[in-house]
Amino acid sequence: MSRIVAVSKRPTWVALGIALVFQTGLISIQARHRIDTSFVRVWILDSLAPLEKLVDRSTYAGFYVWERYLALIGIHDENERLRHQVEELRMQLHQNREDILELQRLRSMLSLSSSDTGKTIVARVIGRDPARSQTVTIDKGTVQGVRPDSAIITPAGVVGRVIHSSNFFSIVQLIVDSQSAVGVLLQSTRRQGVVRGTGGLSLDLDYIDDDNDLKQGDTFLSSGLDRIYPKGLPVGVITSVGPRRGLLKTVQIRPSADLGRLEEVICILEHPQNAGPDEPAQGSANP
Amino acid sequence: MNPLKGVRIHDRAGMRFLIEGGYPMTVYPMARVSTLGMLGKFAAALVAVVVIQGIFSFKFKVFGFFDLPLIFSVYYGFTLGNPVASIAIGSSLGLMQDSLSGAVLGANGLSKTIIGFLAASAGSKFAIDQPVTRLLALFLFTIGDVILVTILSAMVGPPLGATYSVALTNWALSAMFNAVLGLVLFAYHDRWSNATT
Repeated sequence: MSRIVAVSKRPTWVALGIALVFQTGLISIQARHRIDTSFVRVWILDSLAPLEKLVDRSTYAGFYVWERYLALIGIHDENERLRHQVEELRMQLHQNREDILELQRLRSMLSLSSSDTGKTIVARVIGRDPARSQTVTIDKGTVQGVRPDSAIITPAGVVGRVIHSSNFFSIVQLIVDSQSAVGVLLQSTRRQGVVRGTGGLSLDLDYIDDDNDLKQGDTFLSSGLDRIYPKGLPVGVITSVGPRRGLLKTVQIRPSADLGRLEEVICILEHPQNAGPDEPAQGSANP
Repeated sequence: MNPLKGVRIHDRAGMRFLIEGGYPMTVYPMARVSTLGMLGKFAAALVAVVVIQGIFSFKFKVFGFFDLPLIFSVYYGFTLGNPVASIAIGSSLGLMQDSLSGAVLGANGLSKTIIGFLAASAGSKFAIDQPVTRLLALFLFTIGDVILVTILSAMVGPPLGATYSVALTNWALSAMFNAVLGLVLFAYHDRWSNATT
């Protein structure tokens, strides 16, 4: 009887052994060779992400129909208000155009390069990380020019960077991920530092030249020194400055971009600061 | 009387042919078709679990604390009564989960493989139809899963960083959420299974 039980249990141990060896092999391959995007990941991502996209588009279509056709009560008053607002913004835009032209003239006189964000593409967020680390899936991949380390932003600020790309989809590591860090400079004093994700909703200040003049409400911009994010993009706002812990004060930073409500994002495919060190910076220096 | 008397049975390429009077009649392997159908349903269910987890985590932030692949690995481990199938299910779910996230490929795969095996082993030894047992098992499996995945990820990639307090809180929340959701899903699935059988 014991022999029968032993024989019947053998396939279980064989299956367990095979599965463990396979999974451990995958892990060790990545540990040794640092393979970012293995064929297994690309294949599964390209297979499953279209389903995610299909479900996302269906949900979006449902909301679209509701918002466009079923929830239009009281739209006339809002329309009037918005029309008025558009007129005001149009005047403001005209003024801003004048300011930009003036700024460009001044820059060219000072031989400064323009802070162009470079070549970009708009992508839609179609999923969030099923595991616990902070990543999202977007519907653009290597075919559209998105590569690992491409910066992802919204008009409100920095979102994160691409860590894996398949042909048509990419995985973006958000800046709040505990393994993410961004080179920053304080908008008011131009002091340079590094902010790091906490794995929660906020960022921590990891390093700064001098933390004496930090105060609540100060804004951190990307410094461009990490060669991933272009210089001058909003990264976060200081929400609290606590007592000194070690060398630095405890500084909590709220990300400028609303990372909990990401719908569309901008992928920066190329920008002047991530060009090689020998390449000249873009922009005209002619007076 | 044997109705197949005088009929030759010819087996070719996995299909059985009855040859009577020189005219072959195909006999469809019904058992194989039904097995394939069952496997297809299982594969579709596993893909759906991972995709639903991804979509819901994106739409509802609180869903990030849940781990549907883990809940399903434990459930199938408990109920299938087949450790090999439980190992295969856990392994596949974990691998898909790794691929859709930025995690180290194989970290969740290894963890869910072990969980599938342990759940299948526990299913034959404990009274896993009791809510308390299920609640405790889901809680412990979640804690084990996050610890193992964190260790494996840290071995390959950079360490977790100086945010262990946040991580511990998230693990505890995740374990509680998984235990409660798992309990509800198990009960619902049990009722549904009983209704269809």
